[in-house]
Amino acid sequence: MIAAAVYLFGGLAALATLLMIFQKNQVKAAMLMLAALLSTAGLYLALSAQLLAALQIILYAGAIMTLFVVALTILPSAWRDRPSKGRFSKVLGLAAAAVILTELLKVSAILKTVPFLREFSETGTLDLARALFGRFAFQFELLSLVILASIVAAVALTSKRGAV
Amino acid sequence: MSAYPLAAAAFVLFALAAAGFLTCGSLVRMLMFLELMLNAANIALVALGPETVSQAYAVMLFAIAAAEAGVGLALILALSSVFKTLEPENIKELKG
Repeated sequence: MIAAAVYLFGGLAALATLLMIFQKNQVKAAMLMLAALLSTAGLYLALSAQLLAALQIILYAGAIMTLFVVALTILPSAWRDRPSKGRFSKVLGLAAAAVILTELLKVSAILKTVPFLREFSETGTLDLARALFGRFAFQFELLSLVILASIVAAVALTSKRGAV
Repeated sequence: MSAYPLAAAAFVLFALAAAGFLTCGSLVRMLMFLELMLNAANIALVALGPETVSQAYAVMLFAIAAAEAGVGLALILALSSVFKTLEPENIKELKG
């Protein structure tokens, strides 16, 4: 059951990403990215990470995708949808990605002997909260600094005086 | 089931996103593929790591992804207002 869900949602996410590469329209590409992110949420559900699935939908598929669609809307249309890269650089990029995939699969071949024992269970949100606010409290608090810095950077970059 | 199909799914997603990142010609789309690469790394972390610890780190990575998208899009807006283009090939100058 878990294996079937992993194959289904993994395949859907891979298909959406593949279609996104060949999609010329930016907004359609954004919708395909949304499909990939939602499939990932399904993958998290299959892995018994219900809280992560909810966060994936709220944060990635909700907030980040909204940001991308707004950015696509406010950028002038004359600057979009221009196929620019030559055939050579595209082939080079695909070859580099193929090399990355081959190496990763080769390195992870050792996992073939490792059984995946996790059964479908409830999320363990209490354990997750204990980990976040106990063992990883320092890292979790540091994240607030990261977010603060990103807010300051975004405001500084987009204000008129702070342009590049 | 072994852990290999899970790792393979995450790596295939990462490689496809990397292929898109390397072949597309628009800054916004490059940032989209970058987010998908981070997403694939997150899947690998959740699938292969110990349950609670990996999920805790995945929650933290969500926040980092959101911050990255915000700063990335702000950079793209600033760059596009200066260079009047979204194609990375046309952005060749660096100004101090």
